[in-house]
Amino acid sequence: MRRSVSTAVLLVVLGLGTAGLGAGTGDFSASAQQKPETTEVKIDNFSFGPGTLTVPVGTTVTWTNRDDIPHTIVSTEGAFKSKVLDTDEKFSFTFSKAGSYPYFCSIHPKMTGRVVVQ
Amino acid sequence: MKKEVVDKEGKMSEKRKDELLIDHNHDGIDRRGFLKCMAWAGTGALCVMQGGVLKSYSLSRMSELGPKAAGELNFVQISDSHMGFNKAANPDVVGTLKAAIDKINGLAMPPEFMLHTGDISHLSKPEEFDTVDQILKGASAKDVFFVPGEHDMLDDNGQQYLERYGKNAKGAGWYSFDKKGVHFIGLVNVLNLKAGGLGTLGQEQLEWMKADVKHLKHSTPIVLFAHIPLWSVYPEWGWGTEDSAQALAYLKKFGSVTVLNGHIHQTMQKVEGNVTFHTAASTAFPQPQPGKADSPGPMKVPAEQLKSILGITDVNYVRGQHALGVVDSSLA
Repeated sequence: MRRSVSTAVLLVVLGLGTAGLGAGTGDFSASAQQKPETTEVKIDNFSFGPGTLTVPVGTTVTWTNRDDIPHTIVSTEGAFKSKVLDTDEKFSFTFSKAGSYPYFCSIHPKMTGRVVVQ
Repeated sequence: MKKEVVDKEGKMSEKRKDELLIDHNHDGIDRRGFLKCMAWAGTGALCVMQGGVLKSYSLSRMSELGPKAAGELNFVQISDSHMGFNKAANPDVVGTLKAAIDKINGLAMPPEFMLHTGDISHLSKPEEFDTVDQILKGASAKDVFFVPGEHDMLDDNGQQYLERYGKNAKGAGWYSFDKKGVHFIGLVNVLNLKAGGLGTLGQEQLEWMKADVKHLKHSTPIVLFAHIPLWSVYPEWGWGTEDSAQALAYLKKFGSVTVLNGHIHQTMQKVEGNVTFHTAASTAFPQPQPGKADSPGPMKVPAEQLKSILGITDVNYVRGQHALGVVDSSLA
């Protein structure tokens, strides 16, 4: 069980790396339907970017805190909740059901975002 | 001492800008005059209400105050130590907290106790609290009264904070105590924050507070302290408390109410009716003025300027006066 989780995380990380390096090389053409355009949300200047992220069912979304201040990722409806993320720390959640998932930073509640899963 | 009366237009002479004397009109308070009492990071001011007249002195002229600054009760507020923070805005929060304690120990009138208005730690780690506790032991004032900041209640809903600092507190850490006739109320407004919202006190705490002040005489000076400002400093950055108006409504009958907060890492004052609001500087790192940056994150300033915008707040109560004197000192 533990092994499969770490493998999955590794694949996501590799996938991101490939997407970053291979941008514009036609990497996406083979499986454009399955691969989401973005699986990463960056926290900069007390805001989530993108603020609204639309992804297919099954996508793992990874948030990265790039501020000098800790933040959290907390689903408004209780679907997920991260531990506190210090600078450069990450939190990932896999969305297995379609729906709209509003979330916020429980330390700085003015920070809000949404993941739309289709 | 020369005095300069500020007229209804808020005008005053150029050469005496560091002192205000505002006539208390029958129709209320000269808001524009009070705005001049607002002190930003890097400056300091003492505000004293005497017989319905508010005076503001810059720190540079404190020596002229002499015995006027002496009172029955003298205490210090420190805030936002953020122990564990190590980024560019201040890689040495241990050093600046120690400098704050040195400043306190060097005050002409030793404070009887200290208030810490939260964000003791940066990440609620036990070793961060331990370090602060150790440094505070070096202060001449041995008693410290805490309220939590949001950084002190991360991940565990405040359990560790309560074990360390809230043994005699109610609920999530609120409590009150009396010192020389002044009634102090410490509130918690950093828990159960709602998406899109501000700081929150909550119904249970508000009901406790209502009962807490019910038996007090109207003449009792009140000091209310909490981490997030209990007035609307800048809601766009979350610098305010959703239900603070309810808490302040319970204090309407009192002649003197002083509200002390932290959280925004800069000093600011406002007077409204019987209430004087004050926020303290951080001992760790400065934050930008409201709306003057993309976000309220740590503000990096040249190293030689850092200590001039970190600081402590010295509060002085003189019996018979309407408000408490509040003096901000930088660590420089």
